[in-house]
Amino acid sequence: MRNLIQEAGSAQQIGDAAKQLREIVSNEEFSLNSVLEIFEEWAAALQGREFDEIPGVSFLRLWLRRGTLDPILKRELGEASLVDGWNDDGRARLKSFPIGVVGHWPAGNIEIQPLLSMSCALLGGNGSLVRVPSGLVDITGKLFEKLQAVNSDGVLSRRIKLFSFDHSREDLQEAMARNVDGAMIWGGLESVSHMRGLPFPHWARIAVFGPRLSVAAMDAEVWNCQAERDSWCQRIARDVWQFEQQACSSPQVLFLERASNADASSFISELKQAFQAECRAHPRRELSPAMTSAICLARASWLLEDVSRRASFPASPDWTILVGSGAEIPKPTQGRTLSVLMVDDLLKVIEKFDGTVQTLGLAVADAKKEELLAGAAGRRGVDRIVKLGRMHVFGSPWDGVDLIRPMVRLVRHVPSQS
Amino acid sequence: MNAMSELDERINALLAGSTTFGLEPEERHEQLLVLFKDEITYACQRSPQYRNYADRWPVDYRKATRLADLPYLPVGVFKMNPPLKLVEQSQVTHTLASSATTGQVPSRVVLDSATAKRMSKGVTTIVRDFIGPSRRPYLVIDVSANLAGGGELGARGAAIQGLRSFATETVCCLEKDSSVEPKLNLNLLREFAAKWKNAEVLVYGFTHVIWNHFVKPLQSQGVKLEMPNVRVLHSGGWKRLERQAVSKDVFNRGVASVFGTLPGRVTDFYGMIENVGVIYPDCEFGNKHVPAFAEVLVRDPLTLEPVPAGGQGLVQVCSVLPTSFPGFLVLTEDIAEVVHTDGCPCGRRGTSFRFVRRVPKAEMRGCGNVETVRERPLEEAVIHA
Repeated sequence: MRNLIQEAGSAQQIGDAAKQLREIVSNEEFSLNSVLEIFEEWAAALQGREFDEIPGVSFLRLWLRRGTLDPILKRELGEASLVDGWNDDGRARLKSFPIGVVGHWPAGNIEIQPLLSMSCALLGGNGSLVRVPSGLVDITGKLFEKLQAVNSDGVLSRRIKLFSFDHSREDLQEAMARNVDGAMIWGGLESVSHMRGLPFPHWARIAVFGPRLSVAAMDAEVWNCQAERDSWCQRIARDVWQFEQQACSSPQVLFLERASNADASSFISELKQAFQAECRAHPRRELSPAMTSAICLARASWLLEDVSRRASFPASPDWTILVGSGAEIPKPTQGRTLSVLMVDDLLKVIEKFDGTVQTLGLAVADAKKEELLAGAAGRRGVDRIVKLGRMHVFGSPWDGVDLIRPMVRLVRHVPSQS
Repeated sequence: MNAMSELDERINALLAGSTTFGLEPEERHEQLLVLFKDEITYACQRSPQYRNYADRWPVDYRKATRLADLPYLPVGVFKMNPPLKLVEQSQVTHTLASSATTGQVPSRVVLDSATAKRMSKGVTTIVRDFIGPSRRPYLVIDVSANLAGGGELGARGAAIQGLRSFATETVCCLEKDSSVEPKLNLNLLREFAAKWKNAEVLVYGFTHVIWNHFVKPLQSQGVKLEMPNVRVLHSGGWKRLERQAVSKDVFNRGVASVFGTLPGRVTDFYGMIENVGVIYPDCEFGNKHVPAFAEVLVRDPLTLEPVPAGGQGLVQVCSVLPTSFPGFLVLTEDIAEVVHTDGCPCGRRGTSFRFVRRVPKAEMRGCGNVETVRERPLEEAVIHA
């Protein structure tokens, strides 16, 4: 599998790969319809236990289906894009064409991200140069092998070059940047800041996803509803568990609106049970000592800094619930550490957002109230407002940005005989 | 008798026990478990903050049957400001501060006179087991400014002070001039070496200070001191020397060669200001041992359960000595390997371990942010004349 992903040794190797990709993109006809058909087959091939164990594969299967992609393509590229035609635009007509070669710098913690990012650029007809993080080489190879198998004529896989190299190889990072026409960059503060400083050509389009953090919020009516509490707690646990809370869409804090007729202790108790159940269903196989230290420090600091605060956690570092009050987002610890803060008014929380929050996971009983909160969140920089339990469901737009359109050119044709 | 006096008496009894490293492990654990529970109860009475933590601990400490189940504090909490304390400010006689590199916040722990006395006694008891009880000339490889005991003492100062009970006379062989780095006072050193040529001499310095400001200058000048009977103790960690690719073996041989002694007379010890009064020198088999008034647990980072012999994990240091701050049970940011749970060939009983490395800084691999607000770079001020 490793041979599907080349170990990059020199800048020349990357430059040559980009040149080949550009030749193909410029000279070969591209049919979006055939890409969608290959993606359907690829999704069907990603079945079986070996794939089910890879985090996010069930989502990748869903993402690659026409049922998911058709509406996204229609919205981003227009109705006619699905039949490889031109869209009418008054007297003119519009059609998307690739920008050329797109470089992908995925985050190191999301197993399916190298191929998810690549799929977006391929739907625009681009060539893809993907830097696969060292920890994801085997998984990416396994998933990519299935794409190669279903695409026996290589129409699609010819447009893809997967490379692996250490993130400290500045020469190779720069070579990748110099040779692309667009970039999709995913990751944390340090890596995103670094990638943005690479020597991209002046025409390169750069789409950055992350670093962001996400927040969950429930109004009093919902968390105080005995009948539904259990399922909401399960949804929150699922959102916390995925990606070890290291994803931009991971909730770091849950704001609970105070109820006049109930205290939150019974809700916290049910949340604790949901965390225990999720932990049994998805036990950790490893944890870095640094993360263990961070979790222990978060627990102790939380309780020592303010005697009115409470916390619930097992003797192991498996999960942590930190309970307090206030409308400020506490510094995230990650590693399944959720702060639960009581507030008088959820709107007051949202009014403090400044663009750092990507996703607001909501559980609000009243639709009008939710609309008010969503409007305020939009004005305060939130890009996704979703139901709790669906915070990681990848879709377009992501981080407020379309996923396909930024990497295409919309060519305008005004017919000469019109 | 009040709770503190009673605790003080029991701690001192353990500290003054006839055997520092000879207690049978189970017997020691039983003694320590009872004492730690009482110390936690005392701390809960003295500090509402600590009580809030102990009350939320997943195991009720009053019913705990193992040391491993008692509530421990991660070492990072000693960076809190003001420092955690169990005594009134008026009772604080010293504050110890860790050596933090630029930009880092140092740990700070407060001592009252009772804890300070125990600290001194603890170090003396341990060192005596390794070098014997006699007093001897004491060569400090540091500047004299670090010798002065003041209200606030750094880690280097605390270590230097801790060994002074073995000293008949103390000489500091580094001096500070206008440059940032300390300089070796070669004349003073030569004079000291000539005076105590064949005597038993105690030498102490921070590991990187000894190497960079003592061994390297002496080697470059071809100076060899003829002091075969020195005992060199050093501490402070290997991080800086690892960057210089200096291994323990290279260090020991280098130090031994400039003193004209054997590498076996150079002893590294592990210690930290949060674990007052306990240091862990290497025995002749290269293992670190725990005295009767303390314990070391090594916890698996995945489960936080203690690992068996051969296992590696996060080091938890336990000491009954401090009562001025809640430093009885501290989870460090160091990784160690348990060599034996008992039975080191050196004869010292109980856990023996080896330091492996510091816990590396957490690597951020995801697209999640840990900054909760957006900070914009400051605009450069353009001033037009």
